[in-house]
Amino acid sequence: MTVTEDRPNYKWVGTRPIRPDGYDKVVGKARFAADLNLPGQLHAAILRSPHGHARVLSIDTTAAEAMPGVKAVVTSADFPELDASNPERDVAENLMARGVVLYVGHALAAVAASTKAEAAAAVAAIEVEYELLPVVLSLDESMAEGAPLVNEHNVTMFVESDGPSNLATVNALERGDVDAAFEAADLVVEREFETAWVHQGYIEPHACVVDVGLDGKADIWASSQGHFRVRSQTAAVLGWDTARVKVTPAEIGGGFGGKTTIYLEPVAVRLSEKSGRPVKIVMSREEVLRATGPAPASKARVRIAATNDGELTAIEGWLGYAVGCTNDMAGFIGAMSVASYKFPNLKLEATASLTNTPKSAAYRAPSAPQAAFAIESVIDEIAQQLDMDPIELRLKNAVVEGDPTAMGMPHPRIGFVECLEAIRESDHYRSPVPEGAARGIGTGFWFNIGEQSSATVNLNEDGTATVITGSPDIGGSRASMALMAAEELGIDVHRITPVVADTESVGFTDVTEGSRATFATGMAVVNACRELIDELKARAATILGVDADAVDWLDGEAVADGKDPLSLAAITAKAKGTGGPLTVTASLNAGGAGPSFAVHCCDLAVDEETGQVTILGYTAAQDAGTAIHPSYVEGQMQGGTVQGIGWALNEEYIYDDEGSMENASFLDYRVPVASDLPMIGTIIVEVPNPAHPYGVRGVGETGIVPPMATIANAISRATSVRMTSLPMSPPKILAALDDR
Amino acid sequence: MPRAHLMSDHRRFTDGEAVIEVEGATVGAVIAELERRYPGLGDMLTNASSAGVNGVIHAEPEYLAISPDTDVYFVAPLTGG
Repeated sequence: MTVTEDRPNYKWVGTRPIRPDGYDKVVGKARFAADLNLPGQLHAAILRSPHGHARVLSIDTTAAEAMPGVKAVVTSADFPELDASNPERDVAENLMARGVVLYVGHALAAVAASTKAEAAAAVAAIEVEYELLPVVLSLDESMAEGAPLVNEHNVTMFVESDGPSNLATVNALERGDVDAAFEAADLVVEREFETAWVHQGYIEPHACVVDVGLDGKADIWASSQGHFRVRSQTAAVLGWDTARVKVTPAEIGGGFGGKTTIYLEPVAVRLSEKSGRPVKIVMSREEVLRATGPAPASKARVRIAATNDGELTAIEGWLGYAVGCTNDMAGFIGAMSVASYKFPNLKLEATASLTNTPKSAAYRAPSAPQAAFAIESVIDEIAQQLDMDPIELRLKNAVVEGDPTAMGMPHPRIGFVECLEAIRESDHYRSPVPEGAARGIGTGFWFNIGEQSSATVNLNEDGTATVITGSPDIGGSRASMALMAAEELGIDVHRITPVVADTESVGFTDVTEGSRATFATGMAVVNACRELIDELKARAATILGVDADAVDWLDGEAVADGKDPLSLAAITAKAKGTGGPLTVTASLNAGGAGPSFAVHCCDLAVDEETGQVTILGYTAAQDAGTAIHPSYVEGQMQGGTVQGIGWALNEEYIYDDEGSMENASFLDYRVPVASDLPMIGTIIVEVPNPAHPYGVRGVGETGIVPPMATIANAISRATSVRMTSLPMSPPKILAALDDR
Repeated sequence: MPRAHLMSDHRRFTDGEAVIEVEGATVGAVIAELERRYPGLGDMLTNASSAGVNGVIHAEPEYLAISPDTDVYFVAPLTGG
């Protein structure tokens, strides 16, 4: 179901053609990074630290280098040491430890050999002498007075710092008079919450194939959310000029934020350079879980004041994120989650602190799910205590255009109220709660971002078109680009071939993060098409023998009074005689990303004998602005929701005392599978973003924000127990029920 | 005159003032004037902040032209997944 506001009568935008890459992905023909093999290719394996924190006294690779099949070995000595001002220093030291290992799984050395088995055997022959250092595994340990230092390079951002510290960031947001508001409140609810480390759980492990040519240039084939970032980070880590690195985007088997940074490519470059052969590195699932991602664990204290009629008058709280072994901005971004409600009085402190665990990575709306779990749980408890409908309470306090965001800047046109109303009017919410079950409501916000994108549109001689962009197709963006181009040019979408090009074949494009691809890269496509139409009109004027300003472009044809219309194909057929090839490139730094809101509704049952939670029904409403391809918008909403359900109920890193993950496989790190869940219902709400030519808002991230609180709120109504710790796994639920 | 809205983290430079009126035709000029009046604040805004102007967050706002009635909201850099 779609709720549409004043939508123009588009011909292609909003339709559901099969995605151009669909068949190949379904039948297994699509080429992911691990699918490429080059003549003479070597296979690499990486030595990873068995210790959570240790000084590396020596690394002896002599024996490994002498082993059969071994062609190259690298350690940190093969990479330049980047100084503190280099923004990629943390990335460099994460992909090859320099002097100190910071977590179990930290890379120390790599071997390239003729076979995988030879590479693995050689890695096992590398001798490392360690001096063990104290291991810090939790936020409490990290922030304790006199805590051991996790990373001697870390200094705290945003505050005056005397030197190395475990604190990564400290931020505060404040407005109004919080103390007076709490004193005047009719009702105050305060809770503490915690969440576990969770992984993005993409199916495709990190992989790359690299070939360094005799000209000293590196040709990289890799899976990522942004091959231009792979290029820039790789060049920075190696100390190379950017132009020495070419990155070709492989198909991507999921990223969800976790593939916005690199782990392997510079290592493969050095191995290829040393061996003179192409080198392939493919992580195992265990390596992915031990050495990439995850999303930070967190703690939160949230206190909210309300009046008896349900007005939320103040929020005060602290958000803390355990961000792993290097600095991260998690805290501030999490604090932005208060943006959904008016809160005239607000005081929030957000902190991120380091731990001897893998460097954390972005995960769909990074840091917002942890904060929303706390805030949305407390708001729901207020609704319960006031005996108010949870949607009505939220509607009473929901932000609308002009209300302040967390940072104070007024919200632009947004669709939070429309999402709340869509759930309130949905068949799901209007239906009775199933017997033996309970229903929960939760909401989420994500600000979305724009950034830089480029697009080239080529019109071919037969009137077909090629749309070339630099955004990897993560969630159906090829289809979305083609649909917007079809709408602009007025030609059938099936006559358009969307291409994701390498870093030497399209203009610079920022990494796909912040739900930006359809918004920003789509805007570049639209701009290129519009410039192309101006050129088509000029060419038509030449052909028709009229002034250029006498020609209009209507539904794929050039029209002029008294003349037969000229189709796009008729104009391209005469391109050579009217000025040459018809091609336009557009680049931009897109402003005006539209914030996105989501409201979720969940029915579930709790087995009080086992603690098992069964999701019986789930509906997600989200403001997409305009859904260019509704099926892929729905897919993003469903995907985010399911990942949030996993975060809520099952997923967690379990560490031993040394910081070694004890459940580093998909058997023991349990993500939801299709048989665990009902079909996730979706309601696309369309409140167009006025800053985009088709009204697009990003949709990739917001869907993961509401599920944790939505489920906790339903469990509370089912059991009268307020769950405050994720995951809400059967043992935790049983313990909470015992304490009831 | 443009108004610079500061996060709590920035206010230690301004004796707690949250909104400062500052002359400047660009965000960069506003930052330069803030640095002149509150040494250290400009550097912090340059190195570790984005700016929200007219409802749009700009990651590198230095050359962004503003008018005398513009509100500039300085915030920590934003990213996504």
